[in-house]
Amino acid sequence: MKFTYNWLKDFANIKIAPSALAEKLTMAGLEVTSVRKLDSDFVFEAEVTSNRPDLLSILGIAREIAAITSTKLKPGAPKPKIKPGAKSAGFKIAVTDKKDCPLYTARIIRGVKVGPSPAWLRERLEAVGCRSINNIVDITNYFLFQYGQPLHAFDWDKLQKGGIVVRRAAKNESITTIDGDIKELIPEILVITDDQKAVAIAGIMGGADTEVSDNTQNILLEAAVFDPVVVRRGRCLLGLDSESAYRFERGVDLNSVEEVSLRATGLIQELAGGNYYLAAAAGLRRAPAKKVNLNCANVKRLLGIEIAAPRIKKILSGLGLTVKSLAKDRLDVAIPSYRRDLNTAIDLIEEIARIFGYENIPTTVPAVANSATLNTAIDLVSMVKGILVGLGSSEVTTYSLIDKKSLQDAGISGADTVEIRNPLSREQEILRPTLIPSLMRCVSYNLNQKQNSISIFEVAKVFCSRQASPKEELVLGFALCGTRSWLSEQGLVKDNFGVLHLKGITETLLQRLGINDYSFVSKGDAVEVLLGEQKLGTFLKPAREIRERFDIKNKEVVIAQLSLETIFKSCNLARKFSPLPLYPGIFRDLSLILKEDVLAQDLLATIRQQAGNLLETASIIDYYRGKQIPPGYKGLTISCFYRSPERTLTEEQVNPLHASTCRALEERFSARLR
Amino acid sequence: MSGVDIASIKTNLEAQISAVTSSAELEEFRLKYLGRRGVLAELTAVIPSLPKEQRAAFGQEVNVLKDRIAGLIDEKQRYLGVATAAGGGIKVDIGLPGIAQELGHLHPVTQVITEICGIFTRLGFAVMEGPEVESEYNNFTGLNIPLEHPSRDAFDTFYLKDYQKLLLRSHTSPVQIRAMKAAKPPLAVVVPGRVYRPDAVDASHLFVFHQIEGFMVDKDIAFSDLKGVLEVFAKAVFGQKIKMRFRPHFFPFTEPSAEVDISCIICQGKGCSVCGRKGWLEILGSGMIHPEVFRHVGYDPAKFSGFAFGMGIERIAMLKYGIDDIRLFFENDLRFLKQF
Repeated sequence: MKFTYNWLKDFANIKIAPSALAEKLTMAGLEVTSVRKLDSDFVFEAEVTSNRPDLLSILGIAREIAAITSTKLKPGAPKPKIKPGAKSAGFKIAVTDKKDCPLYTARIIRGVKVGPSPAWLRERLEAVGCRSINNIVDITNYFLFQYGQPLHAFDWDKLQKGGIVVRRAAKNESITTIDGDIKELIPEILVITDDQKAVAIAGIMGGADTEVSDNTQNILLEAAVFDPVVVRRGRCLLGLDSESAYRFERGVDLNSVEEVSLRATGLIQELAGGNYYLAAAAGLRRAPAKKVNLNCANVKRLLGIEIAAPRIKKILSGLGLTVKSLAKDRLDVAIPSYRRDLNTAIDLIEEIARIFGYENIPTTVPAVANSATLNTAIDLVSMVKGILVGLGSSEVTTYSLIDKKSLQDAGISGADTVEIRNPLSREQEILRPTLIPSLMRCVSYNLNQKQNSISIFEVAKVFCSRQASPKEELVLGFALCGTRSWLSEQGLVKDNFGVLHLKGITETLLQRLGINDYSFVSKGDAVEVLLGEQKLGTFLKPAREIRERFDIKNKEVVIAQLSLETIFKSCNLARKFSPLPLYPGIFRDLSLILKEDVLAQDLLATIRQQAGNLLETASIIDYYRGKQIPPGYKGLTISCFYRSPERTLTEEQVNPLHASTCRALEERFSARLR
Repeated sequence: MSGVDIASIKTNLEAQISAVTSSAELEEFRLKYLGRRGVLAELTAVIPSLPKEQRAAFGQEVNVLKDRIAGLIDEKQRYLGVATAAGGGIKVDIGLPGIAQELGHLHPVTQVITEICGIFTRLGFAVMEGPEVESEYNNFTGLNIPLEHPSRDAFDTFYLKDYQKLLLRSHTSPVQIRAMKAAKPPLAVVVPGRVYRPDAVDASHLFVFHQIEGFMVDKDIAFSDLKGVLEVFAKAVFGQKIKMRFRPHFFPFTEPSAEVDISCIICQGKGCSVCGRKGWLEILGSGMIHPEVFRHVGYDPAKFSGFAFGMGIERIAMLKYGIDDIRLFFENDLRFLKQF
């Protein structure tokens, strides 16, 4: 919203420079974003908050300046003297629903000469960003900016003479507006009509047919109040915008409608001639009086500083409110009709605070009492992130809205996805049901930045459709791509990321959270991570075709997604001490040659079963792929550690166990010992 | 030659033996003091020239000194012996790459959220979270934002297709409603989380980003308390030297409302391109919780009062770390992430 220094000075006694004025207005709540010199004037641009429609006019801002500089407004220009006109026989105003239009006034002026506006008028309008059209239209705009009251002028000769009807549009009614478009109307929209047809969309835009043109000789000047909700609906439905609609939506001052209409008539006669008029009105001529009770004790309670009652009265009167003392500390405050935002005591307390100055209110630090309970899930998420970071992975945040195509590209079903009704683009079509496409994209992006070693993770919600409302679930997703390498003293060590790295990260995480009954099961091309019988998550290694859709070429990617909600339900951070072993144990290694398809799980299960309780651990510690292994076979070395809790084991005790284990492996898997 | 010489020799011994770091230097030290032409040999040679009655005492002192030096040499020998005998001593070219498990990085948004939550938990606040899919009631009506009013325009939202009245929350404020309905006052809570606004993406806007909300409700919470708590917060995040100002503003869910600025941390308030030459940076919105909001959650505004505030995490991170483009947070370039 733009306004100028000189225009303000018509109404307010301003003794300070424009920049100082801008600062004062900003610190009182009207944020001035720029001040520019324009010839002999200064143009301000400010952001008016939606609760202060009274500041959408020069007069409104002048009132504010008077309040914050403790000065009085200048006495207004005298009202113009208008000769009384003819009786309005034959001309009637009808309003079908006074809620839609509480007040409608019309003045008819005959014999005007439409022409260009004088320089002073054009300059003021252009300074605030309004194009000059002709003297009549310019005058209506001038008063809109000056008083915040939108006016509209019709060519009287283009209207039926019986009167104006303010009503809802009929189905299939239409109107060509002044911007040249034909607008289809529906009953949600309020229109101004004569006997026959719609001539304007009420409060928003006039019709082209009744527009004031160079040939117009007689005009009907409309000044009215329209319901904010109806105007807003009409504006949104038709996709229109105008300075008028902007003000009607926020609320105009009913009490100033007729005065503004009168002053506009005066200026029209002065600049365009015209000397015959009649006037008509329908509706509420005066807004109901508004009063608010204020208990001054509540000012101290809410602001934290005592402000004496006389000071409070001075502040409120400076704002144009009329204050009466009812009893000690109780005030009865009459609110002028242009302050639509002041309705309850809290609104007055805000006025007192901002005029008193927020900077004059002290700072105190309260004692914090809290009945809200600790949120363990947040601490667990921190733990999970800390573990992933410690394992070398970096955290990413990716968009939770994605396009359907990403899911298809990743080979994931789009069933049960939650769709967005009003996306700005395809990229925002759905809420993602999985992190996988986002992580793929992220890997792809970083590969294009020539990263060789990518380890990323994300903790975020995924969404799926349910009956009453979508289900949100917190998951952990992580992806690996490339090779981790480092220079050891023995030489370059290269570790290519693969599914076993996903397993390693998962095991580390679960064990750290006290979860031990997890298992990994190959299912088709993927691996399922199970917690007991429950599915905890998945490991994927997308096929080349899928990778290429994400622009990942010649590099393998492995991705995991685990349900944190499932993990958090089962995690156990309580630790219990186990006494340290008293007796030493014995290692025995097994080197086996086996068929390729023998699974590690089965081998270890057989070993554990056969060796019994004295076997403390058995783990695979090496591969052997040398020349002695025939094709179709593989070599594994397994390390077994035997220990007894009751005594030191001897070779004699371990040997038979070990031998029977070896035999069992030979029998079950046709394994050969090396 | 007299006792003065012995005293000054004794004083220098410690410094000299500490300076010995190798067998070669130790041998030098031994020769210097105990060698055929060393200090002790000289001292011993002096004895015959002393008066008869001083000779015994002096001789005794020289012997004590000799024992001490021998002891120091032995100790040093053992120490050096261990070091050299074990094949120790660093012989690797120290310019070669260090070997370590490489650590990953937390996202800067997470780091800022952790820092902010830390400040408030130290004050006694609890941390809460809420769902990203919200009801129109919690996002608007309950917060005194009427559905058909211009104040709604500032909070444009994404709606869900197959669900009436469900949307993606446009701020974290709905959790105020949830928290107040679920518990009785007093309450002091911060709420971090993702929010969604249908905005065109550019260097300072995203359609999904992170916010953190905070609020406190008790019997007599005042505007001065809001100022105090936010000052503690802002100084903890941006440094004790910053200045703050509270500017009157409008939010439908708070009254009085304020926007909070800090003196620009880049130009210290003088005016630069980051602060638009104003010298002030806006960091958050705040205010006293509106009585209508209290009525919606069933708290009596005559008995309870409270304040609320909210800020964009990416914005705070951009100011704190000097990041100039908000899109970097969601681009996740590892070269960006590894800087934090």
